[in-house]
Amino acid sequence: MRGLHLVHDVQDAQLLDRHHDKIGRVDGLLLALEDGRPPRVATILVGGRVRDERIGAPVRWFMQLLRTLVDVKSDGISRIPFSAVREISHVVEVDVDGADLASQHVERWLCDHVVRHIPGAYIGRQ
Amino acid sequence: MAGNVKKWSNAALGLVCGIGGFLEIGSIATATQAGAEFGVQLAWVVAVGTIGLAVLMEMSGRLAAVSKRTYTDLLRERFGIRFFTAPLVVVLIVSLLALAAEIGGVSTALQMATGVSLRWWALPVAFVAWMLLWRGTFTVVEQGSAIFGIVAIAFAVGAWKLHPQWNEVGAALVPSRPAHDAARYWYIAVSVVGASVSPYLFIFHSSGAIEDAWDTEYVSVNRLSAVLGNLFGGGLSIAVLICAAMVLAPKHANVDSFDIIAQTLATPLGRAGLWFFIATLGITCFGATLEIALSVSYLLAQGFGWSWSENLPPARNARFSMAYTVSILAMALVMVAGIDPLKLTTVTMVVTAASLPLTIIPMLVLMNDTDVMSAYTNGWVANAALVALSILSAVLFVVAVPLQILGGG
Repeated sequence: MRGLHLVHDVQDAQLLDRHHDKIGRVDGLLLALEDGRPPRVATILVGGRVRDERIGAPVRWFMQLLRTLVDVKSDGISRIPFSAVREISHVVEVDVDGADLASQHVERWLCDHVVRHIPGAYIGRQ
Repeated sequence: MAGNVKKWSNAALGLVCGIGGFLEIGSIATATQAGAEFGVQLAWVVAVGTIGLAVLMEMSGRLAAVSKRTYTDLLRERFGIRFFTAPLVVVLIVSLLALAAEIGGVSTALQMATGVSLRWWALPVAFVAWMLLWRGTFTVVEQGSAIFGIVAIAFAVGAWKLHPQWNEVGAALVPSRPAHDAARYWYIAVSVVGASVSPYLFIFHSSGAIEDAWDTEYVSVNRLSAVLGNLFGGGLSIAVLICAAMVLAPKHANVDSFDIIAQTLATPLGRAGLWFFIATLGITCFGATLEIALSVSYLLAQGFGWSWSENLPPARNARFSMAYTVSILAMALVMVAGIDPLKLTTVTMVVTAASLPLTIIPMLVLMNDTDVMSAYTNGWVANAALVALSILSAVLFVVAVPLQILGGG
């Protein structure tokens, strides 16, 4: 059996969705605790708020202030079940569609409201 | 066979990048200051900066070719988000300052060519640079700026025609202490190192290795081009220093404008020299503008795991393409506001020098991690060089700000 270090190999790794698109990094990992059963890795968390928690209080407060100022409503955190993991190498591939993730909201919004309207937005190797 | 041709054409390209990519507003301004105030005595600092950059470029290229990840990727993955925040913020600040200075450099060249104020040129320059990034591919950015940058060879011709005492130049490659104005001497020394070793260069180089899909086959090519390219680039920086030492030092000229710096080529080469200076300043700063703007995008996208590649259409990586768009626009506006590009450059170079521990010391850890580098970890020579650079960077961190206060005037 081959072992993996959660913090060393999975935490902060690049995430790819089922189309092999980059969809953020493993910003946090949640263990599920159920009565009478051993803890197990249940969820991959992706999103700015998860990162802010890990960096520390001043950054958290500052980002919270920014979010209040620009009136962000959703928490922007994607919760990907660990069972969706297909492969862990130098990247972590998960069987989800990046388009459905809350943490990809800014990417989608920028594409739909800004980038798409600028000539040449679709020029490049696909 | 086809793979071999591609590999060696890449090596040739690395060489060209070294020649065309080494010089930009930072190295031109700091080498001129060094030559004008201390003759050729500071040539050894240019040599130290060049060797340092060659070592770091070789390592960031090897790191990417072996691990299939960029330096930024590994800074985040191996050190975690908490540590990563520090180099992220610091490199972002120094890169944006340098971006403003480079846009200022292109605009200054256009001002010298047309007589129209650089404040009018900043936005058109930014627009053309942005357009190239928006519509072009990585190859366009890399090769375009490298090939046109060859014009910088004019400085080598200029230095040759000025007939310097070559034995004196050779002797100046050995470190020496100043006879006068110690604070000013060491201040310029720090800014010369900051102008050679900029963190955006390793971010750009290791991202380029991934854009070009390098593998371990490229390790030797990468080494050769890092050494030769920087040798030529550093040689050109020393040529700038010699020109300044021969032309400006005897006159005790105060290097406070680009018209003064232009004399370094106009004196040996006449009217053509002035045009060569304008072309060199404009083209090399334009190349650096593209590379720094892309590096800002690479840094953010890789740090946070966004979709990134200069080869993808902007619609496929909206955050990546908006990062360089916003950076270029914002830094062009700084130039429109009337900041003096030369003053901004010298301050930026000192801040860059002070930032180096955050980007150099982690390299020491990564280059010796067998999980990342498998059989391609550093040998003892490379480690000795990297330890020396780490110590140097720590010294620069401590002395940069006091020297800015004592010798920056």
